Amino acid sequence: MLRALLVVSGHELRSRLRDGTALLIALVAPVALASLFGLALGGEDPPLRASIGIVDLDGGDFPTSVRREALATEELQDVLTLRDYADEEQAGAAVDDGEIGAAIVFPPGFSDSVGAGEGGEVTVLTSDSTPLAGVIANSMVDQISALVEARTLAVRASLDAGVPADEVRLFVEENGAAGPTLTLDADPMAGGKVDVAVHYASGMAVLFAYLVVATSTRSLLTDRQLGTLSRLRVAPVPQWTPVVGKGIVGFLLAMTSVCVTWASSVLFFGLSWGDPLAVLVLCGAHVLAATAITMLVASNARTDAQADGYNLGIAFVSGILGGSLVPLYNLPEFLQTLALFTPNGWTSTGLASLAAGGDLGSVVGPIGVVCLIAVVAGGLAALRFRKGLLG
Amino acid sequence: MTDALVCQDLTKRFGRHLAVDSISFTIERGEAYGLLGPNGAGKTTTISMLSGLLRPDAGSVHIAGHALTQDPRAAKARIGYVPQEIALYPELTGRENLRYFGRLYGLPRRTLQNRIAEVLDLVGLTDRADDKVGDYSGGMKRRINIGAALLHEPTLLVLDEPTVGVDPQSRNAILEGVDQLVAAGMSLLYTSHYMEEVERVCKRVGIIDKGRLVAEGTKRELVSRLGTSDRVELVLDGDITAAAEKLRAVDRVTEAVPTGTSSVRLLAEGSRHLLPSFIAAVEGVATITGVEITEPDLEAAFLHLTGSTLRD
Ligand SMILES: Nc1ncnc2c1ncn2[C@@H]1O[C@H](COP(=O)(O)OP(=O)(O)O)[C@@H](O)[C@H]1O
Ligand SMILES: [Mg+2]
Repeated sequence: MLRALLVVSGHELRSRLRDGTALLIALVAPVALASLFGLALGGEDPPLRASIGIVDLDGGDFPTSVRREALATEELQDVLTLRDYADEEQAGAAVDDGEIGAAIVFPPGFSDSVGAGEGGEVTVLTSDSTPLAGVIANSMVDQISALVEARTLAVRASLDAGVPADEVRLFVEENGAAGPTLTLDADPMAGGKVDVAVHYASGMAVLFAYLVVATSTRSLLTDRQLGTLSRLRVAPVPQWTPVVGKGIVGFLLAMTSVCVTWASSVLFFGLSWGDPLAVLVLCGAHVLAATAITMLVASNARTDAQADGYNLGIAFVSGILGGSLVPLYNLPEFLQTLALFTPNGWTSTGLASLAAGGDLGSVVGPIGVVCLIAVVAGGLAALRFRKGLLG
Repeated sequence: MTDALVCQDLTKRFGRHLAVDSISFTIERGEAYGLLGPNGAGKTTTISMLSGLLRPDAGSVHIAGHALTQDPRAAKARIGYVPQEIALYPELTGRENLRYFGRLYGLPRRTLQNRIAEVLDLVGLTDRADDKVGDYSGGMKRRINIGAALLHEPTLLVLDEPTVGVDPQSRNAILEGVDQLVAAGMSLLYTSHYMEEVERVCKRVGIIDKGRLVAEGTKRELVSRLGTSDRVELVLDGDITAAAEKLRAVDRVTEAVPTGTSSVRLLAEGSRHLLPSFIAAVEGVATITGVEITEPDLEAAFLHLTGSTLRD
C-alpha cells in the first residue's frame, strides 16, 4: 500500500519538477513578490515624511511644550512636520484631503484642567491611508496621556496633603514652563514598517500556497482526461492511491514554497516572522486547508482547465478577503467579517500575532479554525470523489 | 483450474437507462472470447465493471477464482485492461510509461526491466522506446497502449475495441500480436463491432445488443441457428423502406432491413430460387438492379438474432 503511494507520489513529483510553470509559481513568483515588498518597505531611512496637525484650543503651556519636545526628538527632526489648524473641523478636512496624516486636538482649558489635577483628554484624528503618521501621532498621544496621568496624581496628592491650591498651581506653572518631558519611542515608525514587510511576504506565501498545491490536485483531472487514471484504478492498489499520492506531493511542494519565501525574507531582509515552530505549524495547517479546498475543486470540476479557473478565482478572492494582499485593517468592516470564512484570514491574523511576538499558544485559535476548514473541505471532496472520479 | 473469468448477472443503470442488463458469461483458461455488438450495446460498460472501474448495480465477477468485490487486489492483479481510448502520458517516453504502469503492479525492478524489454519487442517498438509517446503515430500508440496492460503477465487480457480508428497496416499488426498472445495461452476478452476481427481472433462469441447478451456460442453454433439461410444483399432503385416492407412478407424470408440509401439486406432460405419472388414483391415501389448472395456468417447471425445490422 505504501509502495503504491510512493510510486504515484514519485511520478507526480517528477511531473511537477519537469513543469517549468509549476516551479515558477512555487518558488520564483512568491519570493520575487515578497522581495519587492521587502525592498519597498525595508531599508535604513524612513521613506516617508509625516505631517501632523495640531489644534490648540487650549492656548496653555501644555500644547506648547508637546510641540517643542516632539520637534526636539532626534529621530523625528527630519521626518515630522507640525501644522496648526484653528479647529477640529479644519484639521479633519486636512486629514481627509491627505494634507496631513493625523492631527491632535487639545480641548479648551486642557492645561488648566491638568494643572488642577482634574486630568484631560486629547482627541486624535488619523487616516488609514497614512498609517505611519498615525503611528507617530498615537505614540505622541500615549506619552501625553502618561504625563497627564502622572501630573494629575501629583496634584491630587499635593492637595490631599493639605498644600494650598494656589501654591500647587504656581508650582505646576513654573514646572510647566520647563515643559513636560516628552519621550517618544526610539523609532516609532520602525515597528510599523517591519510589520508591513512581514505582512506582505507572508501574504504572498499564503496566497501562492493555493496555486502550488492546485497544480498537483488538478492533475487528477488531467489523468482522467488522458485516461491514465483508469489504469491507476484497475491496478491492484487501494482505491484512494491517486488522490492521496497527489495530495501529499501538492502539500509538500506548497510547504516548500512557503518555507522558501519565509527563508528569503529572513535571509535577504532580516525580517522575523516570529516563533519558527509556531509559524511552521500555522503554515502547515494553512497548506492542509489549501490542499483540501483544491481537492474539493478537483472533485467537482469537469476538466483540468476548469479547475485552474476555479482555483485562481478562489486563491485571489480569499487572498484579497483574507488580507494576503491588502492588510485587513484597511478593508471595510463587512469585508473583514468575510475574512473569517477564508483560511487566509485566520492564517494572516495568526502570522501577524506571531510577528508581534506571540508564541504557539497565542495562535491555537487560528490553527484550530484553519484545520476545521481543512476537515470540512476534505470531507466534502471525499464524498464527491466516491461518487465521481473514483465511483 | 478455475475459469479465467466468471461474471454473473452483471447489471448497470445510468439514471433510468439500463446500459447492461443481467449479463452472465464465462471465459475458460486460454480461451479467446469475443463480445460482439454495435456502438452503445454496452460492451465498454460491461468491461468497466469486470475490471473494477465501475461498480455494478448487481451481479458478481470472479477473475481466476478471486471475487472482485471481496478480494479486489488479487482479482485486479490478474487482469490486463486495455482502455478503448489511448491512455498514456504523451510527454513521457514509451519506456517511461511502461515503467510507471508496471510499478503499479509491484513488479521488482529487475523483473520489470526484463518485462519492459519483452513487451516492447512484442509490440514492435523496441527502437522507438525512448521517444516520447506524444510523437508516436496512431498505430504505435495503440500498440503501446496494449503493451502497458501486459507487463504483469495477466491471466486475462481485456481489449476494448483495440483497432478503432487505426490504419489497416497497424490493425493487422495488432491482430497478429493478439493471435500470438492467444497462441501462447493467454485468456482473452475481445470486444468489437467488427465482425471479421471477432471471427478471426475469437473461438467463442457473445452477441450483445441493447445491454443484453442475446446469444453465445462458437461461430459455427451461432451460424447454424440460421438453418440454411443465406444473406442476400439487394441493390434497389426506388423507395427502399417500402421495398424492405414488401420483401419481409415474402415466404421464407426471415429478415429484411434497409442499409444505406439504395440496398436492402435480407435473410432467406433457398434464396437462389426466391429471386423471381423478390422481383415481384418490390414491383411498383422499386426495381432490383443488383443481387449479392453470401453463405451464412456471423453478420447474418447477428441480423437474425437482433433484427438489425451491426453497422450502417
Ligand atoms: N457514464 C455514462 N453515463 C450515462 N450513460 C452512459 C455512460 N456510459 C455509457 N452510457 C450509455 O450506456 C450505453 C452503453 O454504452 P457503452 O457500454 O459505452 O457501449 P459500447 O461500448 O458497446 O459502445 C450507451 O447507451 C451509452 O450511451
Ligand atoms: Mg465502447
